[in-house]
Amino acid sequence: MVWLAGLIVAVNGFFPALWILFTSLKAETELMAYPISYLPAAPTLANYITAFTEQPLLRFLWNSFVVASLSTALCVLVSACAAYALTRLRVPKRDLIMASLMAVAMFPLISLMVPLFKVMRDLGLLNTYLALILPYAVLSMPVCTLVMASFFQDIPADLEAAAMVDGCSRVGALFRIVVPLSAPGVFTAAILAFVNAWDEFLLALTMMNRVSMRTLSVGITLYQGEFAFPWPLISAALIVAIVPISILIALFQERVVGGLTAGGVKG
Amino acid sequence: MAVAGAPRRSLSERALGFVLLAPAAALLLAIVVYPIAQLVWNSFFDIHLAEPWKGEPFIGLDNYRRALEDPRFWSSLGHTAIYAIVTVPGALLVGLGLALLANMPFRHKWPVRLGLLLPWALPLVFSGLIFRWFFEYRQGIVNDLLTRAGIEPLAWLTDPGLARTSICIAIVWKSSSFMALMLLAGLQTIPRELYEAAEVDGATRWQRFVSITLPMLRPAIFVALIFRTITAIQTFDIPYAMTGGGPGDSTETLAMYIQKTTLDFLDFGYGSALAALMFVVSMVATSSYLRYTRRSAGRD
Repeated sequence: MVWLAGLIVAVNGFFPALWILFTSLKAETELMAYPISYLPAAPTLANYITAFTEQPLLRFLWNSFVVASLSTALCVLVSACAAYALTRLRVPKRDLIMASLMAVAMFPLISLMVPLFKVMRDLGLLNTYLALILPYAVLSMPVCTLVMASFFQDIPADLEAAAMVDGCSRVGALFRIVVPLSAPGVFTAAILAFVNAWDEFLLALTMMNRVSMRTLSVGITLYQGEFAFPWPLISAALIVAIVPISILIALFQERVVGGLTAGGVKG
Repeated sequence: MAVAGAPRRSLSERALGFVLLAPAAALLLAIVVYPIAQLVWNSFFDIHLAEPWKGEPFIGLDNYRRALEDPRFWSSLGHTAIYAIVTVPGALLVGLGLALLANMPFRHKWPVRLGLLLPWALPLVFSGLIFRWFFEYRQGIVNDLLTRAGIEPLAWLTDPGLARTSICIAIVWKSSSFMALMLLAGLQTIPRELYEAAEVDGATRWQRFVSITLPMLRPAIFVALIFRTITAIQTFDIPYAMTGGGPGDSTETLAMYIQKTTLDFLDFGYGSALAALMFVVSMVATSSYLRYTRRSAGRD
């Protein structure tokens, strides 16, 4: 009976991705057949080749990778400093700062997008990586700060004091003691920021209107024609886009769950 | 020495605190506070990005007045409300079910955990695209299953009511797994002894669920509900990918209407007013969340 419960949860989560995988392996003729077939009768990789040649899919992947990794780096650096200040130093109005951070996390993105579009346009930053890196870093800042703060809190203060007695500065203690010891927390925060940036759509749609600057989430929607939806092609592109993030999630599942729930339940 | 050093140290500690908070504050000012101030400011002007020669005259509250008389504003607000009213409890129920199933003692935990994480990690647009494929009239799997069961296939994406239904189903699928993860974390904090004691007292499975699980889960449920409500107000990606707002405007959300107004019609002043209204609605939900967390933090 227990395995049945697990099966339901797993099927619920895996089914859509699995169905897309099957579709991506079917030839156009098989897809047109009626009634529809479930498993691909004659699996082919042709759709994957077309997916890479019809649109600059490799370029989309690269754009997503650049934007997600740079915004993650910026976000983690800034949030680590903030989390450290909020947990280890006696900063006045600590709760107020935390609360306003959480409020930022819940701002409707669309309300931010409208003025941000004009700001970036006036600065001539549309169609540059910076137009996405900066907002993405800010959007993940609250959750990253929260996750890292909860890890920093668990490091005994004596350890830091000992390092400072040995001649380490406060900042030195941060980078030599606190950061290495809270590496799991930093890493968890980084994964969350990366996934957030990789998945974002609205800002990516707004800030990048040149095809060569599109990120994956927006680029995939370019495969649809005016009237027809080339499903095998879109499915192949979707699989290409989903695989990197799925591997990341699969490798670090426990971290991700821990980080997500630290941000949610404790917040 | 220690006596003389103490106040100086705490002073420099304070200064260091501000230095470390400065980058975060600077980013927030530049990317959030300044744009939001701009948004409110712009909403009092008539700004057409495509017609810069017309200038940007100040028109006071005209943009807001226009919103009140704009049927498309009201209908998009209505659709957003429908999605919220259906998917907030919908995702909670499905999420609670998934969490209870996932909380069973499995030999291998990873397939279950991954089954909850995958929908969370999947971009919203992709979920929308995949569900559009599910609900496709001729080749979609939903109509195929209906036909096999002897039921006439339905025009899921071209009938307004059915299109909204399919969008709700997609949103519930996508958001329930995150909810399940949060509720699962809540379930795992409930001490096992409570259940054992109840079992000794002869409580049935249902009684244990109602009198132990649900009350203990209340904080987690509340946080999950507010998170979902706040994201439901902003619904954009899934309807955008599934129907593009159609047929007509029958599935369009407020966020989609704002995006079209500013980026397609380039009616920037009016778009700003709509976005400012959305901001206010969303902040009401957020402040209730903050009030709750502060109250529960005080209780600890």
